[in-house]
Amino acid sequence: MSALDHPEVEVPLEQLLERVRPRLKSLFARYRIPPQDTEDILQQALLALVYQRPNIRDPEAWLFGTLRNRCLIYWRDRRRRLYDSVDTVVLDWMAAPTPPEQEGADLARDLTRVVDRLPDRCRSLLKLRYGLGYEPPELAKHLGYSQTSISKVTTRCLAALLRQLTVAGLYKKGS
Amino acid sequence: MGEHPRQDLLDRFARGRLSLAETRAVLAHLVGGCEVCRAATAATWEVAPAADPSAGTASAVDVADRAADRAYDQVIDRVFWQIQQKDVALQREAAQAREIYDELHRHPIAHQLLLIGNSPRFRSRSLCELLLAKCHEAGFQDPRQAIDLGHLAVGVADRLPADDTPSEIVGGIQARAWAQLGNALRIGGDHAAAGQAFDSATALLDLDPRILPLDRARVLDQLGSLRRDQGRHGEAFRLLDQVIAFYRKLGQWHLLGRALAQKAMVCDEVGDVETEMVLLRQALDLLDPQADPRMFLAARHNLVLALSQSGRHREAFALMYHTRPLYLETGDRLNLVRLRWLEGSVAAGLGQLDRAEMAFREVRDALADLGLAYDAALAGLDLAGVYAAQGRRADTRRVAEEIRVIFQSLSIHREALAAILVFHQAAMQDEAEAQLIDDVARFLKRCRHNPDLRYLRRS
Repeated sequence: MSALDHPEVEVPLEQLLERVRPRLKSLFARYRIPPQDTEDILQQALLALVYQRPNIRDPEAWLFGTLRNRCLIYWRDRRRRLYDSVDTVVLDWMAAPTPPEQEGADLARDLTRVVDRLPDRCRSLLKLRYGLGYEPPELAKHLGYSQTSISKVTTRCLAALLRQLTVAGLYKKGS
Repeated sequence: MGEHPRQDLLDRFARGRLSLAETRAVLAHLVGGCEVCRAATAATWEVAPAADPSAGTASAVDVADRAADRAYDQVIDRVFWQIQQKDVALQREAAQAREIYDELHRHPIAHQLLLIGNSPRFRSRSLCELLLAKCHEAGFQDPRQAIDLGHLAVGVADRLPADDTPSEIVGGIQARAWAQLGNALRIGGDHAAAGQAFDSATALLDLDPRILPLDRARVLDQLGSLRRDQGRHGEAFRLLDQVIAFYRKLGQWHLLGRALAQKAMVCDEVGDVETEMVLLRQALDLLDPQADPRMFLAARHNLVLALSQSGRHREAFALMYHTRPLYLETGDRLNLVRLRWLEGSVAAGLGQLDRAEMAFREVRDALADLGLAYDAALAGLDLAGVYAAQGRRADTRRVAEEIRVIFQSLSIHREALAAILVFHQAAMQDEAEAQLIDDVARFLKRCRHNPDLRYLRRS
């Protein structure tokens, strides 16, 4: 890549926007951002573009770099919400089984089966958390993590659990 | 296992948008090992494909279906319209800012600061951007004025009104204003005050994680220059690596070239000439000579010097020959003097000592004429190096005495003077070898921006 191969030409905003439209749709589709959720992402990125335009050398490259970053943040936020919900639900299952006895027992057994497929580190953590009801500070102390990193480690283990339940399950049938 | 959850429920599950009851139901189903629903959620789970999405076009990528395509178009139309309205308003504001700047500029600096403090008319983001650009330019010509402009920019940035400007934009410009002031103070040689200004800039970055990467990169880039001047090279490398990562991610190739050239300067400081040359070559491939001829020329200049320092004098000569038109295009006298200085260094490296002597003499006289006594003395040191190589001891003693007088008349710090006196004493005893002169010259170049450096004579 050489700047000499790409001389900078000031493109009017309207022209730039129409030029990037197909790539925008392609990018949102690839990142699986539903149309209703793209408005905020696109508006924030384009607002930043018009505010910062004098300092931006290649607006198109900047825009797509920024949008990719925002799409990743979108998913990170949503995953965090999902992990929180899953954590709450599983804790509820284990702490106060409201369903009929047989159903509760099935859930616990199925969950244990899924957790057993995870790497050692996650297996230990999730068993302490859901089997023995350890709180994050207790988990950190017991497993030798710092108080600041335990939340990240827990999130990674919940991510592994969910992958096992969804994508990974497809490739590990019967394992 | 019960009924399969609907697809929209699975989609919302993957986005963390279900109620706890709904999450419980979907999770119970998935835990049961339903392969059908695993297959259905697999598509929603894979969010970041390995392939670069920017490489594709709409025709190459399957946009889910036509309905989704229309839905995207509707959103895009709406956003484009709002952005175009905003752009028109911002252009109007920028034009007004230029008028306000001209008005402000007519007053003495103390009055300008007062106006910014008292009148809301002067508190505009566009005016602040303009002041930052002017401050940056002044840094090359008039460091004192750059500091004044930096204070003005901070004054405006810290008083920006709470309007519809997104907070991350306001936070970003405030951080850049403090960093630009810090940079001006660094150029002016006040490292302590520069450090305080950068503390304010980085505190603003820490305060708001949404501040845009381009603003962050600019602040860290300038902080890297301060750390380089302070001799904190490890920190300078770390900061510039962050900046390089930001620009690479955002596809800002010219800015990436600038950052690589900055990193090359740190390599020069630590004496790693090989890496310096690699980085400068990469930088020159990325820099846009039309948009930033000064930076392009500086990178070429540094590469010629690095080649010369590493003993590749013929390569240095060839590159200098091809770079000569750029110096002539820039036209200002100082750049032409720099070219002549470079010619002297390359000639000295090639053993053409008569040519080198002539060039260094011209450079020394021209710099003295421009009132740049410190630089004139440095050129005098190069001249002394030529005399020493020729065994012209009387000439070396004469030049050493001239340099001592110049440095003692300047208010420079103790270590610089100590280095000069070591050279002077050696010259008076006819013991000033080329190596000593080179060491002293390199030290004087480095300590100019870093009064904390200590001169240690090589044993």
